[in-house]
Amino acid sequence: MSVVVQNILVVLLAAYMAWDNGTGGQITNNWPVTVGLLVGLIMGDVQTALIIAGTLQLMSLGVAGIGGASIPEYGLATIVSVYLAIRTGASTGTAIAVGLPVGMLTLQLDVILKIVNNFFAHLTQRLLHEKKFKKMELIFYLTIACWMLKYIIPVTLVVTFGTPIVKAILHVIPVWFTNGLTIAGGMLPVVGIGMLMRYMPVKKYVTYLIAGFVLSTYLKMPILGIALLGAAAAYAIYQRNTQQIASATSQASGGNDYDE
Amino acid sequence: MMNNNETNTHETQKLTVKERKSMFRRWIFFAGLGYNYESQQAPAVVYSMSKALRKIYPNDNDYIEAMDNHYKYFNVTPQMGNIILGASLAMEEKDGLKAKDAVQSLKTSLMGPFSGVGDSVFWILFPTIMGSIAGYMALQGNPVGAVVWMALYVALYWVKMWFFKLGYTSGTKLITSLGAKINLFTDAISVMGLMVIGSLVATVVKVYTPLEFHTGKVSLSLQTGILDKIMPALLPVCIAGLVYWLLGKKTWTPTRIILLIIVLCLIGAATGLLGIAK
Repeated sequence: MSVVVQNILVVLLAAYMAWDNGTGGQITNNWPVTVGLLVGLIMGDVQTALIIAGTLQLMSLGVAGIGGASIPEYGLATIVSVYLAIRTGASTGTAIAVGLPVGMLTLQLDVILKIVNNFFAHLTQRLLHEKKFKKMELIFYLTIACWMLKYIIPVTLVVTFGTPIVKAILHVIPVWFTNGLTIAGGMLPVVGIGMLMRYMPVKKYVTYLIAGFVLSTYLKMPILGIALLGAAAAYAIYQRNTQQIASATSQASGGNDYDE
Repeated sequence: MMNNNETNTHETQKLTVKERKSMFRRWIFFAGLGYNYESQQAPAVVYSMSKALRKIYPNDNDYIEAMDNHYKYFNVTPQMGNIILGASLAMEEKDGLKAKDAVQSLKTSLMGPFSGVGDSVFWILFPTIMGSIAGYMALQGNPVGAVVWMALYVALYWVKMWFFKLGYTSGTKLITSLGAKINLFTDAISVMGLMVIGSLVATVVKVYTPLEFHTGKVSLSLQTGILDKIMPALLPVCIAGLVYWLLGKKTWTPTRIILLIIVLCLIGAATGLLGIAK
């Protein structure tokens, strides 16, 4: 594939990813491994793509945009990192060192576009009141196109100007710097884990947090096994709670207290 | 599939199966795209309901009133919105504008509990487990995890359509039949989430120090000689605790913590306090 075709396909993939992620996930969402695999296929180097995507995937575990919260764009960081690594031959560490900041800057675009969407929302409501229903529909489609700019803008910039910039960086970047970023790559999953713990009732169910930790560190159980055990525990707790509620309501409604 | 039996149970049906499915698809393929800070997902609701509502309300003024109702604040995990909007549609189809307030209260009362369970399953459990499996496979150059993940998400389309059917056929019953149980379900499933998180602390977070102490001819590695002897993954646990604590403070957003970690690692690498784990 010629360079120009590859560049166009990568920008189109970014636009697609904005739609897929915006709708809550259809095929790839903005997960690093799925998006990374596609970038690898476009660029013709799946191996390099998967190693970078896998690193970013583990880095981003647990970082979730719950309730529309704005979080670093790891999916975009994957597109940028993989693209630059294959184009310039940069190492995984260097590629991520360039891609991750782009993903974090794009966060600002996310905020801006959600403000622009506010304007679109009022515009469609005004058109509704003016009974211009066809035009209203049109504006909704315009919203999608506008949303895609979130990823189209940064990826287009990277595709156009990124390669010479990264090649220049490759000559001056010191070893301790790339080492530091590789170490950060290993440590960063802790952010997602911290966010998950904030989101879940840690204090109430700390028992299961410790159980999961012990199963994997001391007993080396793989994650799917731990998840299945967790599902079993969840089912038991769900059953117990529903029974408690059932017995509480039957007592409240004046049923005879035969279970005492 | 919506079959004829169901059609008979709804005597007041104004929409064909095709029109209903078109509304469902509109939500599936648009949810969250008009996201704004004021009414959040309301534009997506309006967009997905607009065609179906036009059919229900041929009169322009009724139509505008019904649509205005959906311009109010709405936010839910997109996949779970299917159930709520399915129920809303059934109510409006049956009672028209009389159901306006009931639809609004159904939407607002269900979006909290449904998001609780939806976020846990679709944004946390599923991506965390699949991400960990597919991520490690990808590091070895194996695309199978990523492909399986995509296949599962494509299959989810039919689950979403089934959610719609569930909401549409339950209608107002949804609050009484599901409303109470859903909080219990969210509570229980968080147990599964916490076990997975506990395992991730040890397997995914990597902190390693190459420091060694020398006393005479004996050298002692801080990592293997001391820390690992106390407890495996001691440093990751400490850092997870620190991040958890920082996240409880208003000034520390996730992005700031990510920057802090990168800076700390750069300092650690430059001074030799931290190294790349073997």
